[in-house]
Amino acid sequence: MATESVQPIRSAKYVRPQQEWKEIIAVYLYLAGMGAGSFIIGILIHWTRIELNPLSIPFIELFGVRLDLAKFPILWGPIMVSIGAPFLILDLGIKWRFMYACLNPRTSWVARGFIILSIFIVFGLLILAKSFLPFKWLHPESGLWLIPEVIAFVFALGTALYTGILLKATKSVPLWNTHLLPLLFLASALSTGSMSIILSTLGTGLLSYNSEGMKVLMAGEQICVVIEGIVLYLFLSRRYRASEQGKESVRLLITGKLRYVFWQGIILLGFIFPVVLEWISKYYQNSALLFIAGLSLLTGGFFLRLGVLHAGIKDQIPMQRLMEIQYDMKRVH
Amino acid sequence: MDQKVLVVDQQKCTGCRQCELVCSVYHTGASNPSRSRVRVVKWEQAGIYLPMTCNHCEKAFCVEVCPTKACHREPEKENRVVIDRNLCIGCRTCIIACPFGQPFFDAQERVTVKCDYCDGDPQCVAFCNVKAISFVDADRAQMAKKKEAANKLADLLKQARG
Repeated sequence: MATESVQPIRSAKYVRPQQEWKEIIAVYLYLAGMGAGSFIIGILIHWTRIELNPLSIPFIELFGVRLDLAKFPILWGPIMVSIGAPFLILDLGIKWRFMYACLNPRTSWVARGFIILSIFIVFGLLILAKSFLPFKWLHPESGLWLIPEVIAFVFALGTALYTGILLKATKSVPLWNTHLLPLLFLASALSTGSMSIILSTLGTGLLSYNSEGMKVLMAGEQICVVIEGIVLYLFLSRRYRASEQGKESVRLLITGKLRYVFWQGIILLGFIFPVVLEWISKYYQNSALLFIAGLSLLTGGFFLRLGVLHAGIKDQIPMQRLMEIQYDMKRVH
Repeated sequence: MDQKVLVVDQQKCTGCRQCELVCSVYHTGASNPSRSRVRVVKWEQAGIYLPMTCNHCEKAFCVEVCPTKACHREPEKENRVVIDRNLCIGCRTCIIACPFGQPFFDAQERVTVKCDYCDGDPQCVAFCNVKAISFVDADRAQMAKKKEAANKLADLLKQARG
């Protein structure tokens, strides 16, 4: 960058992105967002009672219990969040102490996140279990099940938003310190979530390629991708103008070290490939292309978290500015 | 108790990093600057050295973001901000939140550590040969600069009177 050769103080420490949260946190943010997003879409399908095909393998027998798989392909989101949550624990210095955070829910967003995710996982898995367990005493047709479903839905929304709030709450990183980040992660959660539901329903035959339900689902997914693109543009343009570090972060993403993550990972895999391939698959009525588009979009969702995480540059400390002034004065004299 | 603070005179610092050494010996028993609670930031090209310690901020971001209250203020001990290593889970949120790049992750203990004023007797102050770091009452921290500014103003007034 041009500033680096002119201002050695700036080049030394100034544009170095944070090194504390790395890939493990990106995986956590991704799985939590995608799992929550897919559950939101899945429960909406469940509520709107879109007509679903009978599965080719409608049930399996486990320990003599007949498990009904009819709703499994649309309600598996909590499993993804359950897989993602341990990644946050894996990143801790002393892993078993994560319990301390659970015991202090009002202290910070990290602690609140433990609670939000835990409630979502418990209620989400409960809804999933109800969908496949055959026990009559569960009264699966009872209207009372709407209560845990609504709770799981609300906490799924909370989980998708929380992945952005966690970064926003750190305050010292201008790239993250914006309300647009939770919105961006929510939009991404919904687009990756709806695409994962498309893949799972198409793969299991729950929805056929030409069914009305699939058309609605694909239209919804495309709207989510467009909204995500608009929010990403607003996010980057606003952060570019927010502060010098915000500008450096955006530069790092677009033209700096992370340009491959941004252009190939986020833009190409996350936006261009899926949109183009979905359009071609519609034209040729080819579901295989839709699978490739889906995998591409899901990969792009991961790169979005990775890029945002790695591009976080901290605010300039006041002393840094003082040093810059002193250096400039030395040069003048 | 009145609040005391560490004041760094960057002009005096020679970048010898003795403060880092004594800090690590005092806190960990090892002469390993990477485990020190004070870090000398160097700009070799510009010939500028700046020992960075915790500012024990009045509105401390590290306290705000700590999920376990391990990072807390102790009003009875110079109003310092400290990390209870028995409560720290090593999430490093405080490191990201601090605008001064302060708490450090101790890779051996797997927790975050920070300056605790060495329980009232900062070793970096005691061992700094050029007295670049001092431990003074908070309300007197800027006294030298204020005196200098007042003297300059007095000179200007004298000149103006002729």
